[in-house]
Amino acid sequence: MKKPDIEKSLILTALGAFLIFAVGAVMTTIVPPMVDKSFWDAGEHDVHEYTEQELRGIAIYKSQGCVYCHTQQVRKLASDQRRYGWRLVEAPASESWEYVNDKDHFLGTKRTGPDLARVGGKYSSEWHWAHFKDPRNMGEKFESPNGAYQSASIMPSFKYLSDDEIKDLTAYIQTLGRNKNWRKDADGNPLNDYEQ
Amino acid sequence: MKQDTAAKTMIISSVLFFGLALTLGLLTALKFIAPTVGEIEYLSLPRMRMLHTNVNLYAWLLQANMGILFWILPRILHTKLFSEKLGVAMAVLYNLTLLGGAVCIVLGKVQNVEYGELPLVIDILIVICWVMFAVNVFGTVAIRKVKYLYVSVWYTLGAVIWTTFVYITGNIITALPMVTGINQANLSWFFVHNAVGLIFTPMGVAMAYYLIPKQLNTPIYSHKLSMIGFWVISFVYVWTGAHHMIHGPISHWLQTVAIIFSFSLIIPVIAVITNFFGTFATAPRSTRMDGPIPKLLMMGTIYYIFTCLQGPFQAIRAVNEITSKTDWVVGHAHMALFGAFSFYAMAGIYYIAPKLTGRELYSKKMGDLHFWIMTLSSIPFFAVLWISGVIQGFAWLNPENTFVQTLAALKHAHVMRLVTGGGIFAAYVLFLYNVLQTFFGKYADEADAETISE
Ligand code: HEC
Repeated sequence: MKKPDIEKSLILTALGAFLIFAVGAVMTTIVPPMVDKSFWDAGEHDVHEYTEQELRGIAIYKSQGCVYCHTQQVRKLASDQRRYGWRLVEAPASESWEYVNDKDHFLGTKRTGPDLARVGGKYSSEWHWAHFKDPRNMGEKFESPNGAYQSASIMPSFKYLSDDEIKDLTAYIQTLGRNKNWRKDADGNPLNDYEQ
Repeated sequence: MKQDTAAKTMIISSVLFFGLALTLGLLTALKFIAPTVGEIEYLSLPRMRMLHTNVNLYAWLLQANMGILFWILPRILHTKLFSEKLGVAMAVLYNLTLLGGAVCIVLGKVQNVEYGELPLVIDILIVICWVMFAVNVFGTVAIRKVKYLYVSVWYTLGAVIWTTFVYITGNIITALPMVTGINQANLSWFFVHNAVGLIFTPMGVAMAYYLIPKQLNTPIYSHKLSMIGFWVISFVYVWTGAHHMIHGPISHWLQTVAIIFSFSLIIPVIAVITNFFGTFATAPRSTRMDGPIPKLLMMGTIYYIFTCLQGPFQAIRAVNEITSKTDWVVGHAHMALFGAFSFYAMAGIYYIAPKLTGRELYSKKMGDLHFWIMTLSSIPFFAVLWISGVIQGFAWLNPENTFVQTLAALKHAHVMRLVTGGGIFAAYVLFLYNVLQTFFGKYADEADAETISE
């Protein structure tokens, strides 16, 4: 077979490889946020603005790498919505506008631990305290009904974080998923006993 | 400066970093079984994981690829490396940058982009190194003494150009203040996916296009297939990033686009694979199993097919529901970067190390043993990750299972992962010894020669 002339030219080969790649690059990076404004604009939805303390919590979440074990997205799947729901209420699936105020996204790729997108309000802050200190031994108060559960947890203990750091982190965790005000029953009462 | 110093520097330091990366992998695997091991902040599981991926990607694989291409390019183009000095300067800067980056990761100074955790300063230094690499690549092509550019050169040029944009998008654009939430996620998956597809794939394929015909002493099977493979991959690969977010909070159409293009990837991959196997099939029989190099190339190619068939399969929405976010994905990523491209890189190092020192490989037998142990440990290593992924995926479907129960089902798989990972590490030790002996060791016959002359 006769070789095409383009294979004689550095410029043409390089330019060709670039242009043909650029089509897909533009279509998948620049075009999507132009077509779908919810990538960066929440529109009429109210999105939580993080406080100073919560921002410190986000920095800890990032530097501790929680995202390598926890995703933050309830996918549009019945199994996800049921699993991450609460008291027979299914968790609403995550939507793109909910994330517009997240300078650092933590959608994640791996669920070694459960999804955290809707975990805010699921447990009391006291629970988180005990859990961060030692997930495998949370003390009498939060003993799981059948101790076997806790023995299987492979979440690391974060006892090396200072008390203030754990408080900041917990403050952030408690905001997760609140943009959709779903932890309420039909009359608007909070579903979690300790929040009433 | 002596010819090939840059190639030699990069190859040796990449081989050493490979050992560090594997050790970190073992430590991470151990923490999955015994989370209380090494309970201090700097050794925490996420930091070890970030270090494992970054050292593997940049300090081992990318560095090995660049070193090997520094050697291959001048051979293909019948010339010298454009600037040996620039190459060595880049090698030194690159290694120092990565050491600095490793310290940042251990201290938790990271970005939130997978594979792009290294902080902004380090990113910028890496970009500078990359520009130095690019100057050398383009320069060497420009001063060539042959008319036509061989396939390996197209892929190298492609890798240099694409990577520049992919890397800057993932590491620097994502850090801009106005890039938040899903927009940032979209860009970071554009990067994550194309880091594998447009950095390591073209560089690995470029090496294989040189090494397979050379080692087997036969011409490449079909020029037409080479062309189809290259031009189609440059078009389709970049579209697929959003398949990391199937069912997730991102536009449905974008997911569909990513799925369709994930399927089109079968075309260039089959073209490349047919070409490689065609070359194997037409080669003289005696060369096909001669020592570790053809074996590593063959096995790398087999892993390459499997990874690239898994990709489209995982992108099917129904399959994705089960496999996504589980250990399956970890198995898939390992088969691409360790199975396919690290096998190619090891073949390249076995090929080039003796040429750099002007003597035979220290021990072919040891090379074969390395190959067999590594292959026979990596197959169960990948398989156990897929199996545990599927177990986990189905366990999650049943709302009766609490999350911790679904976790308990994976205990055995996690143990198997550590054990098979240990096999991979043992094989690596043989590889390291063989390569270091080839570079620095004394050979039995040389020692004899010396005693005789005394
Ligand atoms: C090695 C992986 C791993 C890392 C890293 C990790 N976790 Fe976990 N996490 C788990 C596992 C496994 C569970 C489930 C068992 C349990 O509750 O202890 C869990 C459970 C949780 C839960 C309870 C979720 C629920 O719905 O019951 C929260 C909250 C949590 N983790 C937060 C964090 C935060 C915050 C970080 C970072 C500081 C973190 N995790 C780091 C593995 C991990």
